[in-house]
Amino acid sequence: MSPGLLAQSLVLGILTGGMYALMAAGLTLIFGVMKVINVAHAAIIVMGAYLSLTLFRHLGIDPLLSVLLLIPVFLALGALIQWSVVNRLAERDITLTVLMTFGFAIILEGLQGAIWTSSYQGIKTGYSLESFQLFTLYIPVVRLISAGISLLLLAGLYALLTFTKLGRAIRATIQNRTAAQLVGVDVRLVTTVSFAIGIAIAGAAGPLLGMLFTFYPATHWLWIGKLLAIVVLGGLGSLRGAFVAAMLLGIAEQVTSVTLALGWAPMIFYVFLFGVLVVRPQGLFGAVERQSL
Amino acid sequence: MRIDRRWRRGWPWAGLVLFLLVPLVQPEGFYLDLLMFTFMYAAMSVGWDIMGGYAGYVSLGHVGFFGLGSYAAALLLVHLGLPVFLTAPLVGVMASILGAGLGFISLRTRGPAFVIVTLTFTYVAQLLMLDLKSVTGGSKGLFLPLLDLPANLVIVPFYYAMLALLVIAVLVSVAIRRSKFGLGLIAIREDEGKAEASGVNTSLYKILAFAISVWFAGTAGALHAQYLNYVDPDLAFELIITLNLIIMSLFGSRGIVWGPVLGAFIIYPLSAYLIFLLPSRLAGQVHLVALGIVLVLVVMFLPDGLIRSYQAWRRKGPIDRRPVEARASIVEAAG
Repeated sequence: MSPGLLAQSLVLGILTGGMYALMAAGLTLIFGVMKVINVAHAAIIVMGAYLSLTLFRHLGIDPLLSVLLLIPVFLALGALIQWSVVNRLAERDITLTVLMTFGFAIILEGLQGAIWTSSYQGIKTGYSLESFQLFTLYIPVVRLISAGISLLLLAGLYALLTFTKLGRAIRATIQNRTAAQLVGVDVRLVTTVSFAIGIAIAGAAGPLLGMLFTFYPATHWLWIGKLLAIVVLGGLGSLRGAFVAAMLLGIAEQVTSVTLALGWAPMIFYVFLFGVLVVRPQGLFGAVERQSL
Repeated sequence: MRIDRRWRRGWPWAGLVLFLLVPLVQPEGFYLDLLMFTFMYAAMSVGWDIMGGYAGYVSLGHVGFFGLGSYAAALLLVHLGLPVFLTAPLVGVMASILGAGLGFISLRTRGPAFVIVTLTFTYVAQLLMLDLKSVTGGSKGLFLPLLDLPANLVIVPFYYAMLALLVIAVLVSVAIRRSKFGLGLIAIREDEGKAEASGVNTSLYKILAFAISVWFAGTAGALHAQYLNYVDPDLAFELIITLNLIIMSLFGSRGIVWGPVLGAFIIYPLSAYLIFLLPSRLAGQVHLVALGIVLVLVVMFLPDGLIRSYQAWRRKGPIDRRPVEARASIVEAAG
């Protein structure tokens, strides 16, 4: 592998990894507060992509603008679903909650197929194919924009979690739910808000996914695999870990697709996923889960 | 009272004799096909329930073993000429060994690893079958040689094979339920920490339960490949199969031998009828949405399943949701 090709893969990997980080952030946040794997997470992202596609085709709304439009919609939907059904169940049985998100994923996939058919789609704007040259590097404009938007949104999330009272409450709940409750955090409210934020980020990632990749209703199974690899490598519930892991895997994916065949690139995620579970189940940044007898 | 008990012991055997006779009366057609698939799903659901019901670890990846079973049987037939009816149980054993491997990765700890591994495993398996083009034919799939039987009778051996699989599944499930191993699995479901503390080798029990659980999926997959005479990555790894197993077990009642069987005998014919009614353009999508909604509704309103809810209703008491401490006797008995 020549140095030029390596540099190119690194740049593309980092740009793609930025978007992966956004997609994984919601998943790891929801796991952090609820200890539930949201199996429907990628299906929600793909739903965002489809909605943005429709807005673009019928109303001419640019996908970058629809990122902003989708955030409040998905925030409200997330809060509603969490408050009305998920929370009641999660307090009773976590296993059933996982099965419920599995059901949600299936429903979304079926709905997408019924509304938009199961053929491949992509959001093609006027600037979709543009790119520019930076020294010897080839930079696609869409990847740069999507990485930029992802980083902006993640920075916003970081600020929310670090500098606000709500953010402190969320982090406290992630660290120790019982202790947070003891010091007066309303963990039910925090859970609902965190879930809603997680869903909103997923919705916002949808248009970005739609611009960069082709998608069809069943693609979310590919994506949930990639996202799980990211959040497990980073340590479940750790946002910082998810960010680092997203970059690492974004780069690893690019390098694999250049050195091996394109078809094998998704496999690198699963190699990491299973490898991490064998060697270091808590991931890069995760704490070892202690369970009292 | 005595008649009641005798009836309870006898009805499975009566049902078996009835099902054994069906092909003699009607050796072809829609109903034989319907029953065969019902047996297949019932057997796999009983298998799923050994892990999901007894031990309380839900697998989201049984179709991965089904699909790999399909491919293994197809490859053994196409490349080595070994007939599927002979290799199917061995293909199941291969699935079990693989299951034990995955269990080793994901079941040594508690927590979400098992859900993650089983969920992603299906996709890995599908990707492998797609990418190993030289062996598996990639997305073109593999054609299996046809069985040397008249077209209208070809279903009969499959009918009996799936029925046999169901009988084995029920017998294995009953045996586990009555054994110390089964008690250990239930102890793990009720309180894994206490189970471990009272001497249950929880990791080993879970891995073993998962290996047994996926044997049925692997074997059924092998038979299914020969039934269709064809296998490709989309067909072999249809997610709806995992979904069906979960819904059937939950709907009938998890952790009860006959729960998944009852679930399969209700859900499968209903789905088949639904698909038959719908226009073919929408059938797949609507079927998916309908099953998803059923899963969410069952999880929300009937999490204990039909049998357990019926038992509770007959006792006119609430369902046993005592705190775990009250059930310590199970854990102690297992240790």
